[in-house]
Amino acid sequence: MYSGSAKERGRLSWTPGAAFAALLFGLLGAFAPHEAAAMPQAAAAFCSVYPEAKACASGAAPCAMCHTTPPQRNAYGTSLAARIAPGQPRPLAVDVFLSGLRDALKLTEQDDADGDGFSNISEIFAGTFPGEAASFPVSLTCKPGEARQASQQRWNVCAYDPIYAFKKVSLDVCGRSATRAELSTFQGLASNRKRWEPALSAQLDRCLSTHYWLGKEGAVWNIANAKIRPSHTVKAGQNPGPVPLADYEDDFNLFTWANIGDHDVREELLAQYYVKRVSDDPVKLAIMTEAEVKAVSRRASQNVPQERRVGLITTRWNGAINTMFTAVPRTTAAQAYRAFLGYDIAKMQGISSVPHEPIDFDAKGVQAPQCAACHATLDPLTYPFTRYNGIGRYNYEAGRLQNFVRSDGKRVTEAPENGILLGHKVKDLMEWGQVAANSDPFAQKVVGDYWKVLIGRDPETHAQDQAEYTKLWQGLKSPDAYNYRVEKMLHGLILTQAYGRP
Amino acid sequence: MIRHPLIVLAALFALALPAAAAAAGPSEVPRNSLDPRVKLKDGDRYLRDLSAQLEIPREEICKELLQYDCFRDAFRIVLGGVDAADLGVNEPLEQEALTAPIALDRVALRVCVTRVERDLADPKHAVLLRGAGPKGTSPSPAWVKRTVQGLYDRILARDATPAETAQLLGFYQKVSASASPADTKVKDWVTLGCFAVASSVENVFY
Repeated sequence: MYSGSAKERGRLSWTPGAAFAALLFGLLGAFAPHEAAAMPQAAAAFCSVYPEAKACASGAAPCAMCHTTPPQRNAYGTSLAARIAPGQPRPLAVDVFLSGLRDALKLTEQDDADGDGFSNISEIFAGTFPGEAASFPVSLTCKPGEARQASQQRWNVCAYDPIYAFKKVSLDVCGRSATRAELSTFQGLASNRKRWEPALSAQLDRCLSTHYWLGKEGAVWNIANAKIRPSHTVKAGQNPGPVPLADYEDDFNLFTWANIGDHDVREELLAQYYVKRVSDDPVKLAIMTEAEVKAVSRRASQNVPQERRVGLITTRWNGAINTMFTAVPRTTAAQAYRAFLGYDIAKMQGISSVPHEPIDFDAKGVQAPQCAACHATLDPLTYPFTRYNGIGRYNYEAGRLQNFVRSDGKRVTEAPENGILLGHKVKDLMEWGQVAANSDPFAQKVVGDYWKVLIGRDPETHAQDQAEYTKLWQGLKSPDAYNYRVEKMLHGLILTQAYGRP
Repeated sequence: MIRHPLIVLAALFALALPAAAAAAGPSEVPRNSLDPRVKLKDGDRYLRDLSAQLEIPREEICKELLQYDCFRDAFRIVLGGVDAADLGVNEPLEQEALTAPIALDRVALRVCVTRVERDLADPKHAVLLRGAGPKGTSPSPAWVKRTVQGLYDRILARDATPAETAQLLGFYQKVSASASPADTKVKDWVTLGCFAVASSVENVFY
């Protein structure tokens, strides 16, 4: 059994920090005029009742099980709330809530809170959301008769169809439809997996070297758009804009380099070098020597010393459009968190609150309760960025914060260079890059980006994709599987049912 | 420019569609996908394909107002493209734009008109009108049938089914019954036949 679509779920990691953030929400909710209040302990309590539920794979259910945006409840959360300790005055004490939750879960199992035709309990075990009507179990298994019939159709919708996959690879990666001659040759192999699989792989390999895939504004380049966020207006280097500040082509070249051939995709966050595009058609990239880096004109130069470089998050472009003139560059950190780990803090994703944070070294008022819920995560992951200058110097400067005393107050110099990312202490941005690049969210984001391009939807939003997606991102991390090589991973991706079943 | 009679013929062709579709046998009706996730072939790949299929250089295949590239300069975002550096559109639109079908039809028709115009200007190297016969005469039924097959072969990389062949042949009968000169009838029929296949769901989505 698989699921239909669902939005924004499963993205909150329920670390103790996350629980703290949610508790904060719960408290806020308790003081709010409406009755709704999130109860962070509920996530673990839910999983103690349904430990085998798919939503409990990480030990605690996602907020989306009961909430739309915490503390607002979805239909399932609303239904549960009414059955927890009925008659008791609200808000409930935590112990009363927890003791009542188990009964309420059992009492509502056969209900269909979201009215999608499936009972709550069937959705819980199918891995879909009982409070979201658009999320419901769907069977992707054909009956024997149907499978036989489907295998005789032009498209076999009951199984992986190698001809369909071949056509898709040609369009997705080569950027063109397969020719009739190519199709004819491939069709001759399609009845024997031992023959079609290598042929499909070979087609993918051919396509992976095309200009459509690798070239400027090609498929790989476009995957980086949301990470690099180019703007021609402030482009320096070749074909500069009216206010040239930095050259984003350096960033696209490094991104492309890390995503092709036998290169380690973690170089996006680890590289201490830059990459040049020797030619664009055919595409030829090469690592720049330090002499070449130093020879770049002052208007587009990369000023961070080699030992302080952290891939794409310390480039001149990144500093120019994200850090700009800020002392504590939260935008830079939030963008890195979003672009490389897939967590959009503005959407309450990846909340992993750090006790006693935020400290508000730069007097921006982030300790206000409505701000602190996110800034308890965001600020500690921002501190390692505070030594990197944005517009102007674009370099690393240990005493950088001294420059901001007049604008941000004396205390700004107390902001540390160490921080906390994904629950790990990091002493500086280099360690930040290491922790990020080796994390599960990074691998998930890398695979998710390609998944979206090739399959056409986000893997997180479709439960039927979960098993194959998980296998891919875990394989990306595994030295015995893809070992952080994107192209190897793509060979696995095109063999998934999600890709190859029409 | 596309002339008025062509539009009238397009309407006639559209009217012919349901009858032809009904003629398709049950064996040609595929089962629905259990997990439908059809993707749009964006304008870049659409024109790249038509360029190869109809043998028109990519840079010349479709120009709005005879000067702006139909995809890069005219319908880039509408046809599923991105423009990160100038427009801040980093990813294709989540849902196809309301105007996408209009843009796509316009592009398909422009491409087919271009191909036919080139064929008329240089009959020796004609692609779709090759072997249509002497000027002023009606083409043979065999040529008409061959042309139908040629359109499907070039654009969809497969043979036309009997139903599809019947559909375009029926359309030819309607066109040839008009009072236009023989050359015009052939030209209009080939242009719209090309348009029908090029703008088909099968050629636009995958």
